[in-house]
Amino acid sequence: MSGQQAPVKPPTRRRSASQWAVAWRRFRRNKAALAGLVIVGFFAFLGVFGSTIAPYPARDPVCFYTGCTSLGPFVNWSHPLGTEPAGYDIYSEILQSAKNDLYVGLGATLISLGIGVSVGALAGYRKGTSAALLLGISQIFFVLPALVIILLFARIFVTLVAVGLGLTLIMLILGLFGWPGIAFVVRGEVIRLRELEFVQAERAIGASNTRILYRHIVPNILSPIIVFATLTIAANILTEVAISFLGFGDPNTATWGLLIQEGFQYPNYWWIAVFPGLAVVFSVLGFNILGDGLSDAFNPRLRE
Amino acid sequence: MAGLLSYVIRRLLFVIPVFIAVSILTFIIANAAGSPIDIIRHAIQRITPSQLAALQSFYHLNQPITVRYFIWLNDFLHGNLGQSLYGGSVSAQMLPWVSTTLELQLVSLALSLGIGIPIGLYSAKHQYSKTDVAVTTASIFGYSTPVFLIGIFLIIVFSIDLHWLPGNGAVSPYAPYWWGSVFADQVAHIILPATALTLVSIAVYVRLIRANVLEVLRQDYILAARASGLREWSITYKHALKNAITPVVTVVGLTVASFLAGAPATETTFGWPGLGFRFVTAALNLDLPVVQGITMVITIVALVFILVTDLAYAFLDPRVRLS
Repeated sequence: MSGQQAPVKPPTRRRSASQWAVAWRRFRRNKAALAGLVIVGFFAFLGVFGSTIAPYPARDPVCFYTGCTSLGPFVNWSHPLGTEPAGYDIYSEILQSAKNDLYVGLGATLISLGIGVSVGALAGYRKGTSAALLLGISQIFFVLPALVIILLFARIFVTLVAVGLGLTLIMLILGLFGWPGIAFVVRGEVIRLRELEFVQAERAIGASNTRILYRHIVPNILSPIIVFATLTIAANILTEVAISFLGFGDPNTATWGLLIQEGFQYPNYWWIAVFPGLAVVFSVLGFNILGDGLSDAFNPRLRE
Repeated sequence: MAGLLSYVIRRLLFVIPVFIAVSILTFIIANAAGSPIDIIRHAIQRITPSQLAALQSFYHLNQPITVRYFIWLNDFLHGNLGQSLYGGSVSAQMLPWVSTTLELQLVSLALSLGIGIPIGLYSAKHQYSKTDVAVTTASIFGYSTPVFLIGIFLIIVFSIDLHWLPGNGAVSPYAPYWWGSVFADQVAHIILPATALTLVSIAVYVRLIRANVLEVLRQDYILAARASGLREWSITYKHALKNAITPVVTVVGLTVASFLAGAPATETTFGWPGLGFRFVTAALNLDLPVVQGITMVITIVALVFILVTDLAYAFLDPRVRLS
């Protein structure tokens, strides 16, 4: 490979760019995708440092004692986004909520990924009854009205909320009911790859099924999995917001949905619902356009 | 046609395991919530042993849980969803709830397809034009916004601030109605919820139509049609649109099913007295028979939508039946 053995003409052969480098080059040229990355980065920053930046602790009715309740936005700069009648500072609450919403969004997606990739890979790779069974189970979970069942669970296990496990409970249920989409994507890709030459060749030299699946098939389906996972994070944040908005979440943990619910109780004080609402829209938008951008970068054929 | 028939039967058979799975799941969850007697007893002081025994036999609590499941399933299949813990037969109230929910869903489905298809088509035909960029940007925003959030914005602006439209309920609780007409009153009430639902579902359909039309316009047969000198509108509407619409049909069912599942949030925002709104109220009150009944009915309605679109797809695209 090195150039010393060819004195006549020093070959300028470079290592061909990896799939990831090519995708990154394509991704960089896509302005919307970069915007998505920036937005997601911004919210990730809020998730990590939000509690530190926030001027007041989470769920602290600061204004209840000092009498600055129900302030409008941009009036008093120690409460830039206004306050609630109960005395919460909106700006502070939004910052404090970021980590909780991201925790549910990311955690639930990881759980769904774990189940979805395993089920999808097995259903795609195996043939016969077990594959059909797995596919059937995925289809059943796919058509379940997820939000309704999640709300039921959240209501029934309300005792867990009381001991501070509300977010974890919502994350677990979202994860346990959100995997069929990923399973379908993985299954489709595995079925496509299963019959390709390099897998047949690997099988011909006697590789085990586990080796074929994890060394050869899974690395090749990482890109659709990453795309789908990014979009799933967005969907999970939306569902978490809906659960909290409906009053099935933990009233003692700051989340954007809880703020929106509190704002909805006082529609004359529009800023209580609108600012956390914007946080929801932009964070979800960020994950959505990042996912679209990644999809375009991995599959240039879809663009043009 | 034999292929189509066997396809229909296969799809119908799929409904049965889904139905059983959902019924077992909701039954287990409802039983995990506790015994209905404990929930009722908050309202009954100094219960006598004979009353307790009567309640126990009414809810079959002396039977094991597996037997109770089959008793419940048998009742369900006979159209008996039990009694609400707060009074009233659940089955008798179910039909108005379903029709109220469907009213909102179907109005918004018609609006979003009627507006979304032309927009998506225009956007694809003028790809990367200013209009296309605006449409794509707007649709990704719509796609990222929960229906209830748009609902809250609409209520704040049009109901609270401007006093133009009612933002709560499906009819005015008082007379006189709008311009003295009950129908006008109902229309006025559906405007805000239908707008909120439409704005989000339009975004879904526009993205889909645009992507599909772009995909179809790149096909060789479109090139061939252009080369043979067909007019552009004939290529777009007669050749491209037909093939671009077919995959959309499948997604309509899934999208409506997902909006039905999201009905609790949408309907609660507008106090729209359909399945979703009743579900939230019943779940918060632990009114288990209502909760079980609504969960089953939402699943069935969603399944019907998915099934109908599946069949429409098989009818439109013969290749589907073979797989």
